[in-house]
Amino acid sequence: MRYKGNILEVKGLTLTVSNNGEPGAVILNGLSFAVRTGEIMGLIGNSGSGKTMTALAVSGLLSDFAKIESGQIIFEGEDLTAKTAKERRKLLGEKIGVIFQDPSSALDPLQTVGSNLAEILRVRNLDKEAGRRQVLDMLRIVGFEDPEQIASRYPHRLSGGQRQRVLIAGAALMKPSLLIADEPTSSLDTVTSMSIMQLLHEMCQEMGISILFISHNLNAVRNFCDRVMVMKDGTVIDSDTSWDIMGQPRSAFTADLLAKSRLDPDKLGLTAGKAADDAPCVLSVKDLSAGYSNGALLRKSSRTVIRDITFDIKEGDCLGLIGSSGCGKTTLIKTLLGLIRPSSGSIEKNGRIAAVFQDPATSLNPAHTVRWHLNEALKASGRNAGGDKDSLFIRTLNETGLAEEHLHRFPAQLSGGQRQKVAIAMCLIGEPSAIIADEPFSALDAASQASVIKLLSDINRERKTTMLIVSHNLRVIRAMCSRVIVMNDGVIVESGDTASVLSAPATETTRMLLDARMYGV
Amino acid sequence: MRSAAGTILIKICEFALTALLVSFFTFIAFSVIPGDPARVMLGTDASEEQVENLRAELGVDRPLSVRYLDWLGGALKGDLGDSLSFRTPVNELIKSRLPVTLGMSLMALIIVLIVAFPMAAVCASRPGSLTDRIVSAFGHVLFAVPAFALSMLLILLFTKAFGIYTAGRYTAPSDDAGKYIASLLLPSVCIALPKIAMTFKFLRASMIEFSASDFARTAKSHGLTDLKILLTHIIPNSAVSSVTVISLVLSDIMGGSLIVEQVFNLPGLGRLLLSAISRRDFPLLSGIVFYLALITVILYFLSDVINAAIDPRIRDGRSL
Repeated sequence: MRYKGNILEVKGLTLTVSNNGEPGAVILNGLSFAVRTGEIMGLIGNSGSGKTMTALAVSGLLSDFAKIESGQIIFEGEDLTAKTAKERRKLLGEKIGVIFQDPSSALDPLQTVGSNLAEILRVRNLDKEAGRRQVLDMLRIVGFEDPEQIASRYPHRLSGGQRQRVLIAGAALMKPSLLIADEPTSSLDTVTSMSIMQLLHEMCQEMGISILFISHNLNAVRNFCDRVMVMKDGTVIDSDTSWDIMGQPRSAFTADLLAKSRLDPDKLGLTAGKAADDAPCVLSVKDLSAGYSNGALLRKSSRTVIRDITFDIKEGDCLGLIGSSGCGKTTLIKTLLGLIRPSSGSIEKNGRIAAVFQDPATSLNPAHTVRWHLNEALKASGRNAGGDKDSLFIRTLNETGLAEEHLHRFPAQLSGGQRQKVAIAMCLIGEPSAIIADEPFSALDAASQASVIKLLSDINRERKTTMLIVSHNLRVIRAMCSRVIVMNDGVIVESGDTASVLSAPATETTRMLLDARMYGV
Repeated sequence: MRSAAGTILIKICEFALTALLVSFFTFIAFSVIPGDPARVMLGTDASEEQVENLRAELGVDRPLSVRYLDWLGGALKGDLGDSLSFRTPVNELIKSRLPVTLGMSLMALIIVLIVAFPMAAVCASRPGSLTDRIVSAFGHVLFAVPAFALSMLLILLFTKAFGIYTAGRYTAPSDDAGKYIASLLLPSVCIALPKIAMTFKFLRASMIEFSASDFARTAKSHGLTDLKILLTHIIPNSAVSSVTVISLVLSDIMGGSLIVEQVFNLPGLGRLLLSAISRRDFPLLSGIVFYLALITVILYFLSDVINAAIDPRIRDGRSL
């Protein structure tokens, strides 16, 4: 039975989060919106705008620190804020489904996929055999060709995309009338996230599930949502049909967000880094193969992940490296950085090579300040700072767009974008000849992404620092890199001028990556 | 993935190496401490000649290296030699004492587990609550009290005040299993209490961590009750991370039992060990150390097996 009218109405919702007993910060400020039955409603905004809190408030999964101060959450005509915790939990299992951002840890590692899913039906007192059949059917629906085999596997043996499919299957098994998807694709590569979004779209149409789709990527919601709303500081500041927001954003904020997520090179002042013709070679890789080995003394097994990789980067160049998850990008980076020993081939480096990694939240030590990190980087580089270290640190921070006040902050006191800038400052301290950046933007929201991209691009231009940018975001590659190499299954399948490779792809791999982008991921 | 037989073979090699190193270091330590078994046996009044004769009889006049290799040769065949002071085979001596130490350790472990798990679950389900704070404070107190002090306190309480226990009375399991358990119950409790605190603290932390995990949140979104999530997801996952800690606790328990035996006057390995040291009885000492090493290696092996049984990621080749 489909509910007639708006399936979800949030009216004047104000929510605070308390910190160690201190009175709470206002996270949602008089938030109001409605989701119509059967539609996909997109919810976008930068990190910290309150998107995830909205999802948690609607689903009733708020932590004990969060408190709803005022307002109503009306689901199928009933006010959820008036219900007890127990009633709300029951509703979760029956009518509201949730899919979260990171599928890697969202399944119990000790149970098979099948029993992870079966628990949903056990809540409903379904008998075992019938439950098993439903689980297998649902796994087939979400796109697994051999559901029995998937059901018997443990989560750690699945890829990120497969796990997210399993979680979607879990949410769909409950046959909810509302599905809340909180950044369901942001940790997945382009091709995988496209298929996940298609799947969600089909489920919406075929099963009549209304979806609240949360994302920080405007492009991702473009072709996918019926309507979109934009959140900032805990309220909705722009809301209309998808097309109108994209075409003619009403508020300046939305226009800005849109420009940033499109990474328009002209508006951001980006130029693709290019080496001079006679520039010296900074990194030269020849016939490189590498992989991982398992086991100890007695029995050793090894697996070659990348094979016969050959490329050069000249000083001042900015080279893009693209490919879907599992193609060997990260292994290549680790080998270049000396974290994995190559099994054959050679790497010639000219000068220091520094690296920026994907997740700035975990790559900084939470127990130490920014100054400590910069000092460590300075020590590691062996560079002589002269007398006044602090002035060097501050100069470097300023160059990355941070200020002196950030010097004595801890990583937890910085935003994701700021942390990534600290990581970049740590690179710059050593005056490297090249920076390798492994998906440095994917954990950031659109605004921080744009500023970090701008920063790297400026460093590349002004310092003539060579860059190797690994990303699955083709917009980034197009805006920053003059040359690109495409990897698939451990080998380079295509390389050349960014413009020509992306406009006339010669291989299926590149075409698939481009298709995913066309879809707006 | 490594085959089960291969794994066991590796474990046996590991044990052989451990035992060899342990016996070697015991041997070195023994050559350093002053004292002579013959002198100890005969007392200070004996003449130099008497002592020399006994030394020859016992074979301790030979160089230490010869005695060690001799002992090692026997040990490889399963013969740990004869005790110098008791003049009986070391194997027999140990076998008669083993039930006390092992039984006590096992009972202590069971007590630790059945108390610490529920305690941790109760506290972890509402961290920071009044119950949590009271139970945690109680745990701290237990942690701080040394086993021997606790033993004396409990002996005093149960023998003098309640009159239901007699310290030092021990019944072998072959005589009466019920009495055997009863005679070891109180000492087991004494060993267990400080370890409960340790295990509880670890379990509580790991359960709180898993309550905040993504899969617990997924389970919530599936409509499971908190109790169900605790039982099916949180406890099994924290069990995996605790197995290693529990095996450490268990070797700690064995160490604790050596002291508690002394206080309760029980004929266990601990007392045998002490007398072996004070009488400079090298074969006996090496034998006991050898047995303790064997037990420890077996414990670690079991903890690996249990971990692999619960956690599929470990089964999938990440070192067993």
